[in-house]
Amino acid sequence: MTALRTARLTLRRPVPGDWDAFHAFMMSDRSTAFGSHRNLARAFRAFAAELGHWEIFGYGMWAVTAHDSDTALALIGPWTPPDWPEPEVGWMVLSAAAEGTGLATEAARAAIADAYGRLNWPTVVSYIAPDNARSIRLAERLGAVLDPAAPQPNSDDPVLVYRHPKPAGAA
Amino acid sequence: MTVLVTDRLVLRPPVPGDAEAFLAYSASPRWVRERGEQPLWQRWNYFATLLGHWQLRGWGRFLATERATGRIVAHLGPLCPDGWPEPEIAWHLWHNADEGQGYAFEAARAAVDHAFHGLHWSTAVSYIAEGNTRSRRLAERLGAVLDTTATAPAYAPDERITVWRHPRPRGVA
Repeated sequence: MTALRTARLTLRRPVPGDWDAFHAFMMSDRSTAFGSHRNLARAFRAFAAELGHWEIFGYGMWAVTAHDSDTALALIGPWTPPDWPEPEVGWMVLSAAAEGTGLATEAARAAIADAYGRLNWPTVVSYIAPDNARSIRLAERLGAVLDPAAPQPNSDDPVLVYRHPKPAGAA
Repeated sequence: MTVLVTDRLVLRPPVPGDAEAFLAYSASPRWVRERGEQPLWQRWNYFATLLGHWQLRGWGRFLATERATGRIVAHLGPLCPDGWPEPEIAWHLWHNADEGQGYAFEAARAAVDHAFHGLHWSTAVSYIAEGNTRSRRLAERLGAVLDTTATAPAYAPDERITVWRHPRPRGVA
């Protein structure tokens, strides 16, 4: 089974058991940026869609864990509904304790490199709500650049499009 | 893999290759009437959720296909996201031309039977928007009874959702 490994983290395919971590996040104060915030049935369906994404494409957002634990601390990685203007790498840091540890940066870097490399994507963007300051900081730390001219996903809520540079050494 | 067979239909779990058919159906006026205009990603998300529900629960809604042609006529069956008041049998017929053929009845009856006998549910309801008379007639035909004391999920804030409780088949404790 496909997995990525960084200095501190394992990125693996999400499994049904990751629902507990996703659920706790969506019911917490930290998920206000998401449509499933404090809505249990919507959160369940959003998580089901994460599993379905993998089943359909053979890739999707990775469950990020420490090397010595199977608990999902974050979901970070590819998200590509068929009408997305460009393939996206998204992120959700599920664990409050993981915030500020550099986990999201480390995992997102690996996910972006894998998208450019193994998945052979021509471009990688992240769609970020304009008021999500933490997420914007993460994009900037990753070296992504705001692209005001990039096409938007078809939604009533405009997003910021951050474009990730191809990592040095990638073909 | 769970497959249910009726006189005219095969009910089987959805697979990734059904996405195209689902996206065509969900672009049709039938879907728009029920859920409004939705961008493709949102309809695709719904399909991904159908698959993921099977992974999470080990069961979920089937695609009902015509035995003679393999054509998909409906998605329907057991549904219970966390946050749902009770396990539900839901149904969505895909094509106007299939109305009045008894397909929804035939498939839903098999799904209810499967929920009680195969999944060992002790009760089953269907949540139906108050104005959906076709769906309400199907519930009645299945022997379901309006349960005014039961809680409905709050998925459609603009519409009153009624709860129909299916009779427990004989032989189910």
